[in-house]
Amino acid sequence: MEEGYARALWKVIHAGTPAHKAVQALTETLKSHGRLALSPRIAKAFARIAERESAREGAVLTVAREKDERHAHAEAKKVLADMGVEVQDLKTEVDDTLIGGWRLEGRGTLIDASFKKHLLDIFSSVTGA
Amino acid sequence: MDSSAIEKIIKEIGEFTPAHESAHVGRVTQVGDGVVAIDGLSKAVMSEIVVFEEGKGKKLSEAMEAKGELYGLILNLEEDGVRATILGDSARVSEGMTVKSTGKILSVPSGEELLGRVVNALGEPIDGKGPFKNTTMMPVERQSYGVIDRKSVSVPLSTGIKAIDAMIPIGRGQRELIIGDRGTGKTTVAIDAIINQRNEPEATRPICIYVAIGQKESKTARIVQQLREEGALDYTIVVDAPASAPAALVFLAPFSGVAIGEYFMDKGRDVLIIYDDLSKQATAYRQLSLLLRRPPGREAYPGDIFYLHSRLLERAARLSEEKGGGSITALPIIETQEGDVSAYIPTNVISITDGQMFLVTDLFNKGIRPAIDVGISVSRVGSAAQTKAMKSVAGGLKLELAQFRDLEAFMQFASDLDKATADRIASGQRMVEVLKQKNGAPIPMEKQVSALYAASNKFFLDVPVNRVAETEVLFVEFLDAQYKAMLADIKKTGVLSDDSKKTVTTAMGEFRLAHPEIFSAAK
Repeated sequence: MEEGYARALWKVIHAGTPAHKAVQALTETLKSHGRLALSPRIAKAFARIAERESAREGAVLTVAREKDERHAHAEAKKVLADMGVEVQDLKTEVDDTLIGGWRLEGRGTLIDASFKKHLLDIFSSVTGA
Repeated sequence: MDSSAIEKIIKEIGEFTPAHESAHVGRVTQVGDGVVAIDGLSKAVMSEIVVFEEGKGKKLSEAMEAKGELYGLILNLEEDGVRATILGDSARVSEGMTVKSTGKILSVPSGEELLGRVVNALGEPIDGKGPFKNTTMMPVERQSYGVIDRKSVSVPLSTGIKAIDAMIPIGRGQRELIIGDRGTGKTTVAIDAIINQRNEPEATRPICIYVAIGQKESKTARIVQQLREEGALDYTIVVDAPASAPAALVFLAPFSGVAIGEYFMDKGRDVLIIYDDLSKQATAYRQLSLLLRRPPGREAYPGDIFYLHSRLLERAARLSEEKGGGSITALPIIETQEGDVSAYIPTNVISITDGQMFLVTDLFNKGIRPAIDVGISVSRVGSAAQTKAMKSVAGGLKLELAQFRDLEAFMQFASDLDKATADRIASGQRMVEVLKQKNGAPIPMEKQVSALYAASNKFFLDVPVNRVAETEVLFVEFLDAQYKAMLADIKKTGVLSDDSKKTVTTAMGEFRLAHPEIFSAAK
């Protein structure tokens, strides 16, 4: 039930209603229905939704070595520009298991240009695994 | 190799830029009991296959050791994500794992290469004979053929079981339910029907598909062994979703089986498919639906449980000549509890199919095997496909047996019976014996016809009841040895001509003379 209230609150705020007004309206509704005790759980559910949504907006660029970052950043931006996507919040992480290349994940899309993926593809095509 | 060449290779590797392609992805937010909740995948479609990305954060060597790709099947599209079922080991999935959309609807491989093989519900070989090389992918979920593309059932599908071929005949393209309690011989009937197809000419022999749904591995192994020993595995494909498999695979197995069958049907071939059994599939689907949080209905089954079976069984069809004339004959099996055929799933499947054969524990325990209760068994379309020869000898059989069952009950109380009643009982007792058959011993149509002709002409009336079954076997062997031409004629024409009748009558006389010890024993 708290998920439903939290989702409704998120939608209302997302549609442009000031947050304090939306929360006030929700509190009054809960009070009138005798469900005020749900408030902490609604807050937690709201936090989860907010976290999920912010993760959807952002993107993570993973590189194998720190020194590859600049090159990967430029390439990833070029790919995103070709796709017509503008990412403001581009975090960078280092994962040496990638061996080389880069990997961009965010907004429901994954672009994998890592050496590891390439080698795994070769392995799969050779072994039929 | 000189150092400049090595430097060149190192430089080339350094400058290597792998090609990149984008994939639509989501993230696992919940895992439990084979079902995952995935956040994202907003462009996913129902029944789409997704791939769990297990290699993330793992070293290359570890990623290479993974046992193939792990797939999921999308079953619920929700407001802010999807729910999917894991088609494999759910222990391999963890929260936060990336899930890739494939844009593909679940398909299984099919083709001639699958003949004689054992595959799982995803069509992957599990018999250790290596991967398939040349197959065609067939969609697991497909709309069944419409009215215009079909034609009515008219070609018989011989099971080799006298009681069935004579009284509950099955035609190619029919759906005939085999229903009964556990241990009443349902699987045996189905396997005998597969084995009997070896008597069919190769050109018209149906491809057989046995789908083991939620069965013990030992039982399936035994069936595969039996089919191999009988030479039936060459034209059979076994789809195995054992009891230990995830519920998703158990629920998918019949659909995979029919998808494999459709490949052959589309090529104009006949297919016989056994679903052993749909009660277990319904249970697996109930489990999956409850985990997917779909509202439960009667007996906690989801609202679309009828549609699950109807869309599966509607895919059995006989196609028109324009569509190649192929067919799929379905023999679904349903296990009842304490003979309760009015339970939810049995009544559903009874209403979908074109007839049903009831196997009864009482008859089984009396030694009447196959334990078919002919009184309540029926084939709604099969009689149109029965050969003239069989029709001519099986005409009054069902009625005679039904009357015998009534008199048999009466006989237990009445001490003094009139001659007509006593004769009818004697004849009925012998007919029951003639219809008995050992498992794994299907009989070709022409031999069945001859034996039933003899039985309906009171041939066994002078034989002691306990020796009728043995005498019938001997008589058929006698015909096979002495009157091969007559049997071949019945097989070829499908008609029991006057000449053939005369020949069988002559053979009856000769057999009687050759075996006086049997016929005098009753006196």
